[in-house]
Amino acid sequence: MNNDRRPIVTAGPGGPGRGGPMGGRMNAQKPKNLGKTVGRLMTYIGKSRLLVIVLLISVLFTTVFDLAGPWLQGEAINTIHFSEIINDDGSISSIFDFVDFELMLKILAAMAVVYVLNSIINYVMGVLSAKLSQATVFSLRNDLFKKISRLPIKYTDTHRHGDIMSRMTNDVENVSNAISQSLSSLFTCIITLLGAGVLMLGISWQMTLIALVTVPLTVLTSTGLAKLMRRYYVKQQRLLGELNSHIEEMVTGYKTVVSYGKEPEQVEKFTRLSGELKKAGIKAGALGGVMGPCMNIIGNLQYLLIAVFGGVFAIRGAFDVGSIQKLLGYSKKFTRPINQIANLYSQILTALAGAERIFEIMDSAVETDEGDTEIDVESIKGYIEFKDIRFGYNPNEPVLKGLNLSVKPGQKIAIVGATGSGKTTIVNLLTRFYDLDGGSITVDGIDINTIPKSTLRKMIAIVLQDTVLFSDTIERNIKYGRLEATDEEMREAARASKADIFIERLPNGYQTMLTESGSNLSQGQRQLLSISRAVLADPKILILDEATSSVDTRTEMHIQQAMVSLMKNRTSLIIAHRLSTIIDADVIVVLKNGVIAEAGNHEELLARKGEYFKLYNTQYAGIAT
Amino acid sequence: MKKLIKYLKPYWFIAVLSPLLMVGEVTMDLFQPDLMSKIVDEGVIGKNLSLIIETGLLMLLLVVIGGIMGSLCAFTATKAAQSFGNDLRCDVFKRVMSLSIEQTDKFTTGSLVTRLTNDVMMVQEMVAMILRMCIRAPIFFLGGIVFLLKLNTTFSIAVACAMPFLVLALVIILRKATPLFGTVQYKLDKVNSVVQENVTGARVIKAYVREDYENERFYGANSDLKNTTLKVQRLMATLSPIFMIVMNLTIIAIIYFGGLEAQAEAIGPGSIMAAITYATQILMAILMVSNMFQSISRAAASARRILEVLDCEPVIVDGENDTDGVKKENNGDVLISFKDVSFSYPNTTGRPVLHDINLSIKRGQTLAIIGATGSGKTSLVSLIPRFYDVTGGEILFDGIPIKSYKLSELRQRIGFVMQKSELFSDTIAGNIRWGKPDATDAEIVSAANVAQADGFITGFNDGYSTYIAEKGASLSGGQKQRTSIARALVRRPEVIILDDSTSALDLATEARLRVALREELKDTTVIMIAQRIASVQSADLIAVIDNGTIVDCAPHDVLMQRCTAYVDIYNSQMGKGGAENEQ
Repeated sequence: MNNDRRPIVTAGPGGPGRGGPMGGRMNAQKPKNLGKTVGRLMTYIGKSRLLVIVLLISVLFTTVFDLAGPWLQGEAINTIHFSEIINDDGSISSIFDFVDFELMLKILAAMAVVYVLNSIINYVMGVLSAKLSQATVFSLRNDLFKKISRLPIKYTDTHRHGDIMSRMTNDVENVSNAISQSLSSLFTCIITLLGAGVLMLGISWQMTLIALVTVPLTVLTSTGLAKLMRRYYVKQQRLLGELNSHIEEMVTGYKTVVSYGKEPEQVEKFTRLSGELKKAGIKAGALGGVMGPCMNIIGNLQYLLIAVFGGVFAIRGAFDVGSIQKLLGYSKKFTRPINQIANLYSQILTALAGAERIFEIMDSAVETDEGDTEIDVESIKGYIEFKDIRFGYNPNEPVLKGLNLSVKPGQKIAIVGATGSGKTTIVNLLTRFYDLDGGSITVDGIDINTIPKSTLRKMIAIVLQDTVLFSDTIERNIKYGRLEATDEEMREAARASKADIFIERLPNGYQTMLTESGSNLSQGQRQLLSISRAVLADPKILILDEATSSVDTRTEMHIQQAMVSLMKNRTSLIIAHRLSTIIDADVIVVLKNGVIAEAGNHEELLARKGEYFKLYNTQYAGIAT
Repeated sequence: MKKLIKYLKPYWFIAVLSPLLMVGEVTMDLFQPDLMSKIVDEGVIGKNLSLIIETGLLMLLLVVIGGIMGSLCAFTATKAAQSFGNDLRCDVFKRVMSLSIEQTDKFTTGSLVTRLTNDVMMVQEMVAMILRMCIRAPIFFLGGIVFLLKLNTTFSIAVACAMPFLVLALVIILRKATPLFGTVQYKLDKVNSVVQENVTGARVIKAYVREDYENERFYGANSDLKNTTLKVQRLMATLSPIFMIVMNLTIIAIIYFGGLEAQAEAIGPGSIMAAITYATQILMAILMVSNMFQSISRAAASARRILEVLDCEPVIVDGENDTDGVKKENNGDVLISFKDVSFSYPNTTGRPVLHDINLSIKRGQTLAIIGATGSGKTSLVSLIPRFYDVTGGEILFDGIPIKSYKLSELRQRIGFVMQKSELFSDTIAGNIRWGKPDATDAEIVSAANVAQADGFITGFNDGYSTYIAEKGASLSGGQKQRTSIARALVRRPEVIILDDSTSALDLATEARLRVALREELKDTTVIMIAQRIASVQSADLIAVIDNGTIVDCAPHDVLMQRCTAYVDIYNSQMGKGGAENEQ
């Protein structure tokens, strides 16, 4: 019957705002490649082939039983017999004769059997379609997630995160609803429509035509209203989107709003936007609300047409009273599917558009991994060689233009240079987040393209400027670096990165839960945790990409001292703005215009009085005087 | 809930009219089967053609009247609900815009956004539904019973017997299912948060080769969700068959009793047919109530979340005194002074973040603040514009306790540039104009010039009219910082606070910015938090913060002589190179 399960919408950050109060045919999105998407979705549903077959068979049964209802009702009423008498004035009228209770009880017993069976099948159907939709969605979600976790970084870098999220949430939800409701409903509707039509024709073709008069009326009214509504609905959606992004911006930027005293101004702007939304909402909502009564009028019109004409036909003796009951029942069963199919149509289209968006991710290329050289990570020495590296995120804007660099095992290499000079790009290339346009990178003489990515990345630990922490305990965040690490090893890593001091001050210590990606820690503390994680990973190559930019210089110095012993025999690559961070590096590389402008240690570079000298003097301007 | 009903009050007329119209529509509907039975029993059986046509016309009239009433009902209900929603939304937004920072911290911005968008929408939909459906169901129910009684009392007995079963089944199933709905939502949130973390943290996951680990984590969350959802759906799947069985058995009973009554010549077959229709309507009304109940319980959760916001009184409020009335403490040129200030974040225990802070900053001075990670630098400056209130001691601004000021007046005199710059979707000029709504173009350019932003802005094709996308996504970190500095400068504040807000600038640019600041804004007091000695050493005063208190506050040269903490920081930055350069 009525399965009023509203799609649970959880808008991802930056995801599309929630739809208005009306769903239905208004916001049907059109899938681009219908046939193919249906086919692929079918293969997912097809995984539970047996379930589908059983489900469809039960749908068939329940529909037949459903159609039997009015028929039996009509027959039961026909057991009340009348006899015709001729009145004194010559007119004919009928009077009550007798009730054939024997027959009636038989019919009623048959009804009871049909109804009980129908209810049982109905229950089975409900459970089966829930199972089917959950099984399908479960594997769809799993596949999608597996895919997402294997997408190249380039994909997540170039697509809005909110958009990816909404595919996982809203789109999967839409598909789920479509499968659990639309599939069996559609089948039911079609069978009911055909069955009711045939049965009506069997009673009287004239009456069928009369009952069908209302069908074009239904279609015309609903499409007409829908067209009218669409205009306001689109406007309403647009305003809603505007309002939601206003809310999002003002609430997330609240501190700025407050410090500029902009609250009244923003409230005013909000009130204006909200008022416009209200106006559009009333128009769209009123038109949508009229739809119900209109359909009701048409339904009632049909009811009365059948009652009146049925009455007239019955007087003429074309059929009996019970047939009127049958016709009343079947005409209702006939019109309802028409309305339903219109609604289902949009629901299915939306789901297919969603499925298409899901498959779009599934179809995007995964990270390529052509490497198959077997390497023992433990035996890696950490000799890195960059040869004539050419790379650009866009083909027309090369970032690196023939970079050459070799790093010896155990060396500490620092990379400096202006924003946009390509420092982080080197990291992206070494870890194969992005692939080279030209040149080659080798580790211990092996081209990294021939090393399986997982092996390559196991050699390397990176700490990024934008720290990523998971909403989990501090312990599990650090152990992310090496899942099987002992508590003692974890503490050791925290000590080396100077994170232990603040962790131990927290009431729950290492068991402290980090909220909303670690917002209960300061930026500097988050960086320290990320460093602990990298230290625990015990890599052959350590990369710190602005990893200590929010950490004060003294703490940073302590970390560096602790790392000296740790990083012995390991190669480290450090990117920093702050020259104090890198002053004692074995080699400092200055990047400019996509190539290395100069390289050497601190003293050598200062003596050269080139780019590094300029950088150094701006940073320490005033001290030397 | 009373608080929410208040929002419907201005629209009471249509809010009352709407259900009344619904009563009318339903009544018209209820007459239909009755009239139909007349057609059958008197028209068909009595062979009275004119009666059939007359009754038919009456039915048509009622249908049209009912339709008109229904349409008007839909219109009034929508209007009332939309107006209600609009007022509520505006009030909630207003309330959010009056909250203190600690309260928005507590709610978290994400949750506030959902409350303002999804939750308000849910409640608004609930109002629309209550106005229309909550009347429709009971009227169908009561009206159905009245008409049944009118037809024949035995029919109503059949329905009366059926009802307890239905209600009982409903109550049991819903009571079991309702908590499960919450669980499903919770599991769904979990699945979503794993995805979210994987999308935003893709680099780290890949770097540590944790794809399989994450897949396993997701599989667990996903299975959990699937199992719980199945449980709910299986439960809900029982509802419809139970209803069908009870309803259809009632119909069987009605036909049987109808037969008996017909035998007794009390009624005709038309009445039995009408009775079937009424019984169906009555039982459907109960099902409607169950659907309504589900939606309402979902909306009630939203209403609670909205009320939580509405009930939240801002903790930090305007000073009671007009500042003119307060006696100014005469302390020469001192603009800001901290007196024995201590501070802990609300709802935290343990050591205070700041304690024993004493500090005086003169007009036109530059104060730099330097100190270890987590030592309380940001907390200290957040107290000046009263983002948080001190827990001990007091802060004076221009000789008057900051708590005496109207918040807007206090903040008007301060330019605060945050560690993480927040820009809004507007043009660059529009963003800078936030600082001073009536700023002329020349003022904006000059502020941008001081902030070293003019160069990159004029480099854009559209210059100052360049539109900044959501959260300034189209600008680099350094560009965002410079734009927000310009925004603070354009208002020519008495004090500008830079909370580590030049960290993304390269060194040369930062140096130019410092010089420009000093030259252009001679009377403006500057408070800056920085990590680099080079950024702070030219300041008039440098406050060295350690473990929540000021260990020393003096110019660079003095600190170099006497403050070991400062010398430590200096050495950590200058390293071996520093000494060398000091020829």
